Amino acid sequence: MDKNDLIIRVAGEGGEGIISTGDFITQACARAGLEVYTFKTFPAEIKGGYAMYQTRASAAPLYCQGDTFDVLCAFNGEAYDLNRSRLIPGTAFVYDGPGGDFEPDVPPGVYAYPIPMTQTAKEMGSIRSKNMVALGALSQLFNIPEDALREIIVAKFTKKGTTVVEGNLNAFTRGRELAAALPKTDPWQIKAPESKRDVVVLSGNDAVGLGALIAGLEFFAAYPITPATEIARYVARHLPKRGGTLIQAEDEIAAVSQVVGASFAGKKAMTATSGPGLALMGEMLGMSFMSETPCVVVDVQRGGPSTGLPTKHEQSDLFLAIHGSHGDCGRIVLSVEGVGDCVGLTVEAFNLAEKYQCPVLLLSDGSLAFSTQTLPYPDPASYRVVSRKRWDGKGEYRRYAITDDYISPMADPGTPGGMHIATGLEHDQDGEPNYTAANHEAMQAKRFRKLDGVVKDFAPVETDGEGEADLGIIAWGSTIGVVREAIARLRAEGVSVKGFYPKLLWPMPAEQYEAFGATCRKLMLPEVNFTGQLAHFIRSETSLRPESYTICGGLPFTPAMIVGKAKEMLP
Amino acid sequence: MNMAQTHLHKVELLPKDYKTDTKPFWCPGCGDHGVLTAVYRALADLGVDPNYLVNISGIGCSSRLPYFVRSYKMHTLHGRAGAVATGTQLARPDLAILVNGGDGDGFSIGGGHMPHLARKNINMTYVLMDNRIYGLTKGQVSPTSQRKMKAYTTPYGGVEEPMDPVLYMLTYGASYVAQSLATDVKMTARLIKEGMEHKGFAFINVMSHCPSFNQIDDAKYFKGAAEELPEGHDVSDIDAAMHAVNVAHQEGRIPVGLLFRQERPTLDEYMAELVKQAGGSPDYDLRKIIDLARP
Repeated sequence: MDKNDLIIRVAGEGGEGIISTGDFITQACARAGLEVYTFKTFPAEIKGGYAMYQTRASAAPLYCQGDTFDVLCAFNGEAYDLNRSRLIPGTAFVYDGPGGDFEPDVPPGVYAYPIPMTQTAKEMGSIRSKNMVALGALSQLFNIPEDALREIIVAKFTKKGTTVVEGNLNAFTRGRELAAALPKTDPWQIKAPESKRDVVVLSGNDAVGLGALIAGLEFFAAYPITPATEIARYVARHLPKRGGTLIQAEDEIAAVSQVVGASFAGKKAMTATSGPGLALMGEMLGMSFMSETPCVVVDVQRGGPSTGLPTKHEQSDLFLAIHGSHGDCGRIVLSVEGVGDCVGLTVEAFNLAEKYQCPVLLLSDGSLAFSTQTLPYPDPASYRVVSRKRWDGKGEYRRYAITDDYISPMADPGTPGGMHIATGLEHDQDGEPNYTAANHEAMQAKRFRKLDGVVKDFAPVETDGEGEADLGIIAWGSTIGVVREAIARLRAEGVSVKGFYPKLLWPMPAEQYEAFGATCRKLMLPEVNFTGQLAHFIRSETSLRPESYTICGGLPFTPAMIVGKAKEMLP
Repeated sequence: MNMAQTHLHKVELLPKDYKTDTKPFWCPGCGDHGVLTAVYRALADLGVDPNYLVNISGIGCSSRLPYFVRSYKMHTLHGRAGAVATGTQLARPDLAILVNGGDGDGFSIGGGHMPHLARKNINMTYVLMDNRIYGLTKGQVSPTSQRKMKAYTTPYGGVEEPMDPVLYMLTYGASYVAQSLATDVKMTARLIKEGMEHKGFAFINVMSHCPSFNQIDDAKYFKGAAEELPEGHDVSDIDAAMHAVNVAHQEGRIPVGLLFRQERPTLDEYMAELVKQAGGSPDYDLRKIIDLARP
């Protein structure tokens, strides 16, 4: 039987080649024209610990990591122990044996394939090729494109010389032979589609970097922090090619300060961080708003509070993103659903920052950061790129002139006649400090009314389904993809359900929420945090009262969880 | 010395041409007036085009200085002037960057940035106006206040040892370190001018007395403690500079003049080199980068 949607989980000790095995499977499937959606967990420590890489491959579009695996490949006893409860009847189980560090007690109904990975690797002279034996076996058993895998192995190890390439290819072949000698009892086979599409495979973090480049990024500053650092790695590699500048700052306060300084100088600038870094940036975001200096900040959310769960997934920075500055401080907050959004909404974050001259925060999350996904080749020319309105040099320049749309043209240093001060003090239209009641009220109104255009400017919220429904599910961030899949399953069972997927989280498109809510008998809002943060804003900004469904175990929702909750709400 | 600085756009202006319509808000007798006069003079001597000058400050009495200087400018947050200026300088190496701030701004709340401005050799001139007190909040001890100083929050006298700004900046790797008194406008103007001509991070500590809140370190005290560097002081010798500062610090004296100067590449130069090696250009085809992500 062919299965057009197969999930393979490779698990074992960090450092055993788990991640590269998963990467090879992912790349080979994508090469063969399949959609991929990967999901990884790894320890916060550098050496050792449990690592897991799951690849979901399908001929049809994928929106999330799925419920659980169809195939488990366990490199050691710990991987077996941690995943044993998910070895349900019908799953396939490939494991290191005989000669591994454990003897599994295979549950009934599970298709088991013992492959002596460690032993074979040792016999072939390099324990490091253990993962290649496993990869060969998986390729044989589940029809993971062999040719593509061989090409990828060659490409990956060419730099290390022909001996290493041959060694890995031989181990791969041996793995295939070992698996071929076992009777194939399970029905799972990956089937590649007939036609291939032009795609790229990117992680969420790399995609943010790419989006920034497409938007015209010229200056990037950041301080290392999990799980956002890969954005800096990507930008560091590619920004110099575009003539841009990158600096590793001494802390996050410096990073966002440098961004504001570069933006004042007329450049498109951004920083990327996670919750702890964003917490440090709050004061400078106020300066960005007050001085109307464009500023883009990406927050790859992780488990909090405090140091929290640095490598785990959570959607718990929404309060901080929307209100994390002193005083009344406006900003725009976007959040991404998947890797495609990481490109497109990063471009949009720059566009909005440039147009509205304010801080724009883009929220990603820990599971998206490292999740690699296929997306149609992103043609740079297909993205709309906006630059700030600059002074035309006519008449007398007033930096903070109150205009019809409350947006005041900017003047880059070096512009004759454009001299002005960007200040965090309350100021008048010329930038001169002014603390009078009338001025403060007028200028606060200017800075906030300017943002009235944002909701209209941004694409309307996507609604999944039409007409009336018994249940409406509102979701944000990477939870959206999970809800898409859950809704498809619920509909297949005849449940009347709609979805609402906001990506502009602030300012809130309240009327659109109301319109959606009016068509649903009940509302569910699943989010990965303890306090129900989006639910809180919906309750304060609209008349809707969605039922919060929160989890915070460091992992995303699964479609099955959403389906279960929906059935509970619609008895 | 490298006299041909690309970031200094030569114009012929008088010191008064750098004045804005905003009158300085400092107390009568404040040393900051002297620093401002020295800034005007240095800018005129150099012929800096105000359109290409960016004057950046943090928070405090001295951080108001940019309001009085014709230039592009930013009045930023407490302690962040140097970090903001780093972004401006790296983004636009063609600009002349002048940073002003006080001792609390630079060495207390902003102390974490100082080492990195210095070691990275960011091409800017940082004029620290050191009054050894928090003036804007009406007189609390600062990192440079003398121990035992009785102030707003030290009614029994301060209990902390002060730091020496120039000693720190020498240690941090600043490529130009000088010190002067606000009352000596001539020397201060010369050191600021030379600092702006210097390619790299120039730090000038100006003892700027606070007549309202610091009765210990008044103008008379600073004048008495100041001591010109000995004839023949080798400004390229870091050991000589540190020795001079160390000895003076221990003896309660204040060495004035140019302590240290070193020619070395700035961060923006290193970055320009890196971009050059990468064949960098805004016209670089993004598709070449995107193609790398094909499976």
